[in-house]
Amino acid sequence: MSDNPIRISIRELYKIFGDDPQKALEHVKAGMSKSELLEEHGHVLGLQDINVDMREGEITVIMGLSGSGKSTLIRHLNRLIEPTAGRIDVDGEDVLHYNDQQLRELRRQHMTMVFQNFALLPHWTVLDNAGMALATRGFDRDDYEEEATKWLARVGLEGNENQYPHELSGGMQQRVGIARALTSNAPIMLMDEAFSALDPLIRTDMQDLLIELQRELKKTIVFITHDLDEALKLADHLVILKEGYVVQQGEPQEILMQPNDPYIMDFISDINRARVLRVRSVMDTTQTTPADCAGEVDADDNLESVIARSEGDTSFTYRVMQDGEPVGMLSMKRLVRALVPTDASQERSNAQ
Amino acid sequence: MAVYDSVFSSLGLKDWCDSNGQDGPMSMADLMNQNTGAEDGAPVSAWDFPFPSMDALNDACGSFPQSRDLTKGLEEGFLGAKDSMSIVLDPLTQPLSWMLDGTLYAMLSTPWWIVIPLLLFVVKLVTQSWKLVAFVGVCLGGLAFIDHYEYAMQTLSIIFVCAFICVILGVPIGIAMSRSDTMQRLTVPVLDMLQTLPPFVYLIPLIFLFSVTESKLYGIAIILYAIVPVIRLTNLGIRLVDKDIIEAANAFGMTDRQKLYKVQVPLALPNIMAGVNQTIMMSLAMVVIASLVSAPGLGVLVLRGIRNLELGVGLVAGLGIVVLAVILDRVTKASLARIDSSRKD
Repeated sequence: MSDNPIRISIRELYKIFGDDPQKALEHVKAGMSKSELLEEHGHVLGLQDINVDMREGEITVIMGLSGSGKSTLIRHLNRLIEPTAGRIDVDGEDVLHYNDQQLRELRRQHMTMVFQNFALLPHWTVLDNAGMALATRGFDRDDYEEEATKWLARVGLEGNENQYPHELSGGMQQRVGIARALTSNAPIMLMDEAFSALDPLIRTDMQDLLIELQRELKKTIVFITHDLDEALKLADHLVILKEGYVVQQGEPQEILMQPNDPYIMDFISDINRARVLRVRSVMDTTQTTPADCAGEVDADDNLESVIARSEGDTSFTYRVMQDGEPVGMLSMKRLVRALVPTDASQERSNAQ
Repeated sequence: MAVYDSVFSSLGLKDWCDSNGQDGPMSMADLMNQNTGAEDGAPVSAWDFPFPSMDALNDACGSFPQSRDLTKGLEEGFLGAKDSMSIVLDPLTQPLSWMLDGTLYAMLSTPWWIVIPLLLFVVKLVTQSWKLVAFVGVCLGGLAFIDHYEYAMQTLSIIFVCAFICVILGVPIGIAMSRSDTMQRLTVPVLDMLQTLPPFVYLIPLIFLFSVTESKLYGIAIILYAIVPVIRLTNLGIRLVDKDIIEAANAFGMTDRQKLYKVQVPLALPNIMAGVNQTIMMSLAMVVIASLVSAPGLGVLVLRGIRNLELGVGLVAGLGIVVLAVILDRVTKASLARIDSSRKD
């Protein structure tokens, strides 16, 4: 885990949907399960004892299947949904005690949001949509035009300023959505399945765009997705939700190598491990330089690139470098073993 | 005596019945009985056994009220309340009279060669279609040619004023309904009643309340009848605005007012305009009926046609109303289509 300061801290957050959530909460705290609660009391357990820290300048990805409560969770951060119990601190302040005025300030100045279905205003031009946050704060078009145009250009929409959203493709509409979020200049960006409605190629483009922007802007991003590949590609910190509770959270590589739940093992069994695993997660940290060193690889390279480099020869051993320093070594045998998912869980059970 | 005599005597109410046993006004049935010489005390066969209605019970017991007393009571109650209601309602509704009289005066005293081009200019402005302008020009010219210009202008002025007031009042009511479910629950039955009440029935309480010589009498009748669609469709339009977009507006920290004016009303505008179209069409329907209570315009000619059996006058005036309806419908639909095309999502 990195040492960036914590920007958003969620503590013991519960959300129960129903007529009398407080009473249902007691049952849940007494250990009642989601299905029992629904059957016996007619309440739906949305979120259960969520504790997550989101750090500045990182992308925190919350991943889960539909119904896992991920969209509910992200809407708690700017209080589009009110929690049943718990605490959410943003920059050290408990946002749950904010009044309407403070909450509006939070939403206007500190947090911005990108939506799955874009949610652009159909009767506003692209430029006005991009400037929505500033217009809401009371600026005129003359004031926000420059800023909005700048960010539209940055996401690749130069020259589309005077079109209406329905004239753009889905991918372009979501670029407007991102430009809208960036124009608000808020340090925290909430992205609710922002790329899920796009087709796969466009989605990859958008992910690359986001990574590129993030490298430059260092925002605190909370990203919701149901797609593990997307989650692994973007995440600095990965939170996996299932039926409203956190199954596992941590650095994505760590979760890949040491899944602590059968649910996650199922999840990660289908992915292309060579592409998502990085050298640093599988290397041998011993410093002894191998006799037959075949070259140097970077700690952040993925295994696919190492395999490509070795041209499939499993006898090679590479020295792993990070910031110009050797940090370990990686034999191709070790690399190949890491590609088999059961292997990782095997090691885990052996270790226990 | 009558069938239900025994009921009252067994309840020990005989004295009460006889105490003020004056006979009510003689009913038609009584009169018939007298003429046919049917005997009062004749036994009634099971086939003719009467339902214990108010009138039947009155036959048995003179103190029991007749059903005519019910309607009479309503009349008297209304007349009794009329004066105090007038104190509040008269000043409140007086501007309507002024508006109607003023508009009628302005439209009729301005020469035709100003009014017709002005109307055509407005058509051009809202529809941006020369075809419609030509159509409206031909229709108005035709009406003027058969000397119906004045009547048509009277009808149009009344519709303009009433539809305008419907929008002014209806849109805010619709917005209030869309924001509060309680308000919606309270308003919907009233709207249902206004919509199902036969148009003639509106006129009855209004005739009691206002003098037939006042123009606000028919103004109110038209507004009550025509305001329903604009309220309903404003409410519906705002409720139908995409939830995702409202959520986005919330997430960006819009105030309720910003949401209403920047998001909800603009996005509901196609529906609101459809409501305005319906409202205009319904005021046209009512303006004809309102000629019964001295509303000027083409309706007066229709009424004359019926009253004096002047077939030609009534038919031509009726066709004139159809022409006006077509004009108003086309023009409002065309402006609605313009709004729709610029606000697609």
